[in-house]
Amino acid sequence: MNIKKDDSLSLVLIGGSSGSFVIFEEILKLLVQPLSFAIVFVLHRGKSSTSVLPELFRNRTNVFMSEPHHLDTIETNTVYFAFPDYHLLIGPDGRFYYDLSEKVFFSRPCIDATFISAAFSGIPVKAALLLSGSSADGAFGVKVLAQKGFATYVLNPKDAESPRMPEAALQQYDKHTIIYKSTLIKVVQDILYSHAM
Amino acid sequence: MVLIEYSELETLIGRIHEISGFDFSGYARPSLLRRASRYLTQHTMNVKDLLLHIEPGGGIVYDLIQELTVNYSEMFRDPDFFMKVKTDVFSYLESYPALRFWVAGCASGEEAFSMAILLKEAGYLERSIIYATDLNNKVLTAAREGVFTLGNTRTFSENYLLAAGKNSLSDYYHVAYNMAVISPEIRKKIVFSLHDLTGDGVFNEFQFISCRNVMIYFTLELRQNVFRLLYDSLSMLGFLCLGKRETLRYSGIEQNFKIIDSTLNIYQKIQ
Ligand SMILES: C[S@@+](CC[C@H](N)C(=O)[O-])C[C@H]1O[C@@H](n2cnc3c(N)ncnc32)[C@H](O)[C@@H]1O
Repeated sequence: MNIKKDDSLSLVLIGGSSGSFVIFEEILKLLVQPLSFAIVFVLHRGKSSTSVLPELFRNRTNVFMSEPHHLDTIETNTVYFAFPDYHLLIGPDGRFYYDLSEKVFFSRPCIDATFISAAFSGIPVKAALLLSGSSADGAFGVKVLAQKGFATYVLNPKDAESPRMPEAALQQYDKHTIIYKSTLIKVVQDILYSHAM
Repeated sequence: MVLIEYSELETLIGRIHEISGFDFSGYARPSLLRRASRYLTQHTMNVKDLLLHIEPGGGIVYDLIQELTVNYSEMFRDPDFFMKVKTDVFSYLESYPALRFWVAGCASGEEAFSMAILLKEAGYLERSIIYATDLNNKVLTAAREGVFTLGNTRTFSENYLLAAGKNSLSDYYHVAYNMAVISPEIRKKIVFSLHDLTGDGVFNEFQFISCRNVMIYFTLELRQNVFRLLYDSLSMLGFLCLGKRETLRYSGIEQNFKIIDSTLNIYQKIQ
């Protein structure tokens, strides 16, 4: 396997499904200054929703937005969106890999696939966040990340429009940091722009 | 879910090679890691058990190879691709008295059948021949039979209509024993054969090659070799098609092609 190209690369991973889109928007609005890492969003969405996300936000921030291609190198100061109908994997060589295998939790992209691949990639994960959603997808992935020693955050189920996803995450592993709706923006801001790692 | 480390995956790849001769060393590790983990989860075992259990001549290793090479396909998968081929590619083919197509990595024939139907509706099928190849004998046997479940054909029909098919997909198959059998007029124009893109060479010259969702499983290095083979197999001004999320970038042959459609990944050889 190739050696990892960019040693300074680190990742922030954010996963969600129904009820997460509004939060995604809020987070994207925070991105005013350049980022020292890459953000990867995995949001369940339909086959036909191609390119909607980057277009929606492209001109609003100083940060690059991309729906990556297979084998693209992961760059800092870029927000990546998992393309619909493919699983998005993160390779130990710092590149994205698509995977066309069957859906998981009726979803492709599946959050677990991205999170687990990141956990095993050897690339540092600065933070992983799991938001709102009506399936248990992501719960296992965020646990694997936590067990690898990375900082993990789960939305308080009571604050989630669809609580199933964060509930499952907390059932599978109870040491995630819980984020509350009232302080969400502050917490995310700290993750994004704090210099400590 | 049973997880596996990259180092364990390398051991497994070595062991599979020893036992079966099948070499996964050129396959992209991130997806192999995921497939291996899914295989172990389904069979409730860990890598150590698996390494103990696979043995020469045993069934497990073939099972495993099957699981690790993804064979999933659909007829008219990505309908917009087929629509684009019809509108932007076929007109170039007008002047050829005989046309050769290659569907490389054809799985159970879904894409080759789709191509044949598309050609039929455009009036080109009579002078066309489609070579459809795969390295997996099991899927090729299924492809030669041309039989699908009725459940499958439902998805295929939806795709066909989205691809602006002129008739109904059921015009191209008949139902026997609750299965859909692709009709002989479509099948007779397709030659299914065994071909390993990573080991076998050029076997003909084509005006059109579709190699969709196959190289996505290869490493960057192996992928470049395969691109070379595809390039060498294409006639000048011939077309090369890749899967929707793939790219000609990092292929080593980018400069030899003109982009016909960058999102649907259709390219034309110009030098
Ligand atoms: C996901 S299927 C793609 C089927 C179809 N082209 C499509 O896009 O729907 C990938 C196929 O590539 C085949 N394949 C994998 N490695 C190969 C190789 N080295 N040479 C030829 N075919 C290969 C697999 O056996 C599998 O049938």
